Amino acid sequence: MSVGSDHPVTRPAGEIAKLAAMLRRDFRIALSYRTAFIADIVNIAAQIVMFGFIGRLVDPRLLPTYGSSRATYMGFVAIGIAVTALMTVGTGRMTTAIRGEQMTGTLEMLLLTPTRLSTLQLGWIVYDLLYVPVRTAGFLILVTALFGVRFAVSGIVPASALLLAFVPFVWGIGAGSAGAMLTFRRGGGIFGYATMALAFLSGAYVPLDIFPTWVAGLQDLNPVAATLDGLRRALIGGGGWAAVAPHVNVVLPVSACVFLLGIGVFRIALRRELRAGSVGQY
Amino acid sequence: MSHLPRHSSQRVLAQAAPTLSAHHASPRHSVATPPALRTRQLTRRFGAHTALSNVDLAVHAGEILAVLGPNGAGKTTLLRLLTSLVEPTDGSIEVLGRPAAGTRRQRVQTPVGFVPSGDRTFYLRLSGRENLRFFARMHGMRGAAARRRSDELLDIVGLAQVADQAVGRYSHGMQKRLSVARGLLVRPPVLLVDEATHDLDPAGGALIRDLIKTIASDGTAVLWATQRLEELSGFADAVLVLVDGRVRHHGPFEDLLRRAPARRYILTLGDRPDQSTLRHAAASAARVDVLPGPHPRVLLELHPDAVLGHAICAISNAGNEVVACREERSEVLQAFLRVTEARQR
Repeated sequence: MSVGSDHPVTRPAGEIAKLAAMLRRDFRIALSYRTAFIADIVNIAAQIVMFGFIGRLVDPRLLPTYGSSRATYMGFVAIGIAVTALMTVGTGRMTTAIRGEQMTGTLEMLLLTPTRLSTLQLGWIVYDLLYVPVRTAGFLILVTALFGVRFAVSGIVPASALLLAFVPFVWGIGAGSAGAMLTFRRGGGIFGYATMALAFLSGAYVPLDIFPTWVAGLQDLNPVAATLDGLRRALIGGGGWAAVAPHVNVVLPVSACVFLLGIGVFRIALRRELRAGSVGQY
Repeated sequence: MSHLPRHSSQRVLAQAAPTLSAHHASPRHSVATPPALRTRQLTRRFGAHTALSNVDLAVHAGEILAVLGPNGAGKTTLLRLLTSLVEPTDGSIEVLGRPAAGTRRQRVQTPVGFVPSGDRTFYLRLSGRENLRFFARMHGMRGAAARRRSDELLDIVGLAQVADQAVGRYSHGMQKRLSVARGLLVRPPVLLVDEATHDLDPAGGALIRDLIKTIASDGTAVLWATQRLEELSGFADAVLVLVDGRVRHHGPFEDLLRRAPARRYILTLGDRPDQSTLRHAAASAARVDVLPGPHPRVLLELHPDAVLGHAICAISNAGNEVVACREERSEVLQAFLRVTEARQR
């Protein structure tokens, strides 16, 4: 049987209603864990304080110039932290969600409902897709207020477009990671470490200039580095669409390929587990 | 322990009957009616291991088919095949005469309700009502219908009073009842129940069985996998015994009982008896053997159609005081053992 024939017959409107139900479920569950919510706010504050101190050690002359503006370390790293948070959530959330559903025994119950796999995949991260931007905006507002960092308002829309092109890349890695977790049960953490390493080597926290030249040379094809650079050019340098377009051209095709690959890996893994009858095991 | 007092559950179940009958025409099947659930030559292999081999079964509307078998016999594999959580290697499954060969697409067109054996199949931080509404929505029910059906089922399973409590605070029995409610969300023609009472106390188990009995009497075909033989009397209409993935017995419950060897009882007497006198006295009703040991006990093996009371009277009339009497082993257990041990002969 092909993977395609695995789709239950459902209406698009019905699938959207299911996404809303999954969002409501995750919101209710998140509300019930008040301590975790507070811990996340503390985590944001801790990051700001930590990078604030690190910023004092960094020589401003080492930081790149975007447009006519030289970046401050807090402005530079705030964008890196925002993208890293998106990557961490996007790549880890689906794995965590599936793992959680396996542990609670609800995964099989969900698979018994006439719901498309793509709906489930999106449903597992839809809460975070809404929460992370709010969290990131809160983080950036705090950085602006506490450290006087100024972001260019004219760069917000182009930067959002670039982020939108970047999201499928993150989601694709997340889906592939979830597929690997379904197959091997363990080892999902490897994707987390790989994501962090990729973000670090892409210049999330420090300028690429300080890396060996061969690392910096790889960045032309690295969608994370391209996204970070594009966002900084838009938000720090105030460059509009013209500054972002070359980065979108790099990010979009890679995103599309990684997305399709990740979804494919996940579906094959799920089909394999269903065939083996072990999808609920952990 | 179950949350609901027994009399209360009976009242609730009595109220439930008309509510459950939304799509069922007749509570009991006729010979001409096709089975609600049928499998033909259903087989599942895991590598070299055959978990289930050529299983043919049929469950009619309103019927409870108990699936028995020792550990590893294939009961859970059978249920997982019927829910399509596992795909069959061979054979076919029909629900209401329509093929449901195990793909998700086919299952959606012929839904079956499923009550899994595990007690952790809910979001424990959400309330019972929120859980039911969530699964109703995932089954494609619209908001108002999902709310209405969830509230209706919470009432039916006797959880309306605790519907807004987190499921994590529910007892095993309450979670099981919530699981039954979830299994009925889409008014399925077939309900599959996997070891629903294995970790419940007797009262909790009885409550679940009462609930299932009511559901079945309203026309739902129920497949009930269990290891608890004592719960079958007066509950199951038919029995399917699986051993090593193969069907050893499939038929009415009474047919299984006919395969039971003689009924055996252990009598405790006032004094140590004389075996030949006892045997002579009870000869028309039973065979009697004095058991070794310090206590004056005898094993009474009733003849077919003999009455226990007659045998005890005969022993008593022969001058023996009968102090106590207990069944040696349940006849269902004996029948089950006879059927499952047949493979070794």
